Amino acid sequence: MPHQCTGCGHTFEDGSKEMLSGCPQCGGNKFQFHPKGWSEDGDDSIATDSNASAASDTSTPDNAPSPRDLTESDPSRTERSSVAQTVGRATTKVRDFVASDPKKPPKPDAEWPDDWESSVSSSDDASSSSRSPPSDSPAGSNPTASSAEQGVNDNIEEDDDDIIDADARRESAEEPDIPKENAAQASARTDVVSPDELDQTASEEPDESTAIEGRIDTDSYASTADSSTVPDSPSNGEVVSEPTGEEPDLAELRAQLNDQFESIKILEPGQYELNLMELYDREEYIIALQENGRYVIQVPEQWIGDDLDDR
Amino acid sequence: MGLLTSLKSSISRATTSLFAGSEPKRIGIYGPPNAGKTTLANRIARDWTGDAVGPESHVPHETRRARRKENVEIKRNGKSVTIDVVDTPGVTTKVDYKEFLEHDIEKEDAVRRSREATEGVAEAMHWLREDVDGVIYVLDSAEDPFTQVNTMLIGIIESQNLPVLIFANKIDLEDSNVQRIANAFPQHETVPLSALEGENMDEVYDKIAEYFG
Repeated sequence: MPHQCTGCGHTFEDGSKEMLSGCPQCGGNKFQFHPKGWSEDGDDSIATDSNASAASDTSTPDNAPSPRDLTESDPSRTERSSVAQTVGRATTKVRDFVASDPKKPPKPDAEWPDDWESSVSSSDDASSSSRSPPSDSPAGSNPTASSAEQGVNDNIEEDDDDIIDADARRESAEEPDIPKENAAQASARTDVVSPDELDQTASEEPDESTAIEGRIDTDSYASTADSSTVPDSPSNGEVVSEPTGEEPDLAELRAQLNDQFESIKILEPGQYELNLMELYDREEYIIALQENGRYVIQVPEQWIGDDLDDR
Repeated sequence: MGLLTSLKSSISRATTSLFAGSEPKRIGIYGPPNAGKTTLANRIARDWTGDAVGPESHVPHETRRARRKENVEIKRNGKSVTIDVVDTPGVTTKVDYKEFLEHDIEKEDAVRRSREATEGVAEAMHWLREDVDGVIYVLDSAEDPFTQVNTMLIGIIESQNLPVLIFANKIDLEDSNVQRIANAFPQHETVPLSALEGENMDEVYDKIAEYFG
């Protein structure tokens, strides 16, 4: 049971679509992902730890800090990191899509959960940290109507803002105090890639694809918010791994995306993909990976200290 | 970050006490896994200090933490060059525990090894960014040098304007092809050697003294 509702404990199979529109039992929209082999009694500490940190909504650096928490505590890096988040998440989605074998039938159940997992868990981290900066971003504002309007306005502005806002809105859709997400929020969370968008993405130049996805995300969010229609979320989600048949560009696109995804991608315990440029570019320094998908980092400010013999 | 800070402090201590301002250059030994970096580091350290740097093995990712040997004094032509040798974990874009299962390592250990190897790559990349003054890039001359990792790392090293020597290691192997490496990176000097057998080490030390002295 890879996914568990943090509200009522209801569990979902990996690839379950029920949870895409919120927990059917309690309506909660936060889920804890448990990797294969996880058992209730076997790994209680991790689940408790994550639940506690998610519920308390405060990012305490010594409580297994995520890189995002630490990065965003520095205001000057907030913008860069949220762009990186969005790009990272978007590219992961496209990459997973690209990675799926077009000859096989689409496997939504196999491909989707990875995205879903990363989206849920990263939003957990992000929603807690996004509270600390002053509310000049949509994440700090009321996540319902006002952020939707904001999204429409931002649409007119330059692309970079759109990326950030799209991301921030996804975070705000995850706000834990809202008992039931409205249709627009569900759409923002699940309506990630539609068939048209996929075609467009595959046919565009690879380096533009992520920006385009960010824009489209915003567009679809704004339009569904305006019309207040209930989107057919699960079917929207399904098409992520549907092949387009445009293979010639895919190798190039994949190579490009490989350069963009996050610094270390954990495929499963013991299997890692590393983005060397990203590792090299980072100022902070990953010193310990943990099995539950978190990792410990050391930021420069901390190791240029006078505590010389702390190891 | 104890390793770095303690290294820094020990370097500064050594600098003040021994070298009075002339800080030894930190030379990072980089390269893909199983290229023979640790074998080379051990060879250099044993030749000039008598000690080894770390364990060598045929299993990739034997070195999962950067190890250094400080104040290695290499004497060439009446001159003396002092360097700190930093042996780094092999850099790769993929780490898979299944690779280690073939080497009679149990799954649990293999998973841990691959996690440590991944951390090691992150550490190596971090050192490359901040903590080396020159690079010895070690390649297995029996392997194809045209890989993403090699191209990317050499590119990064060039962008940092670090002095770099390419070492075509394992010339004792039958499949060794030094020219292929020289052709792959014509902009840099390629030195053939066998760190394991100690072949051509004279030229190796000449070049180290020339490039990093």
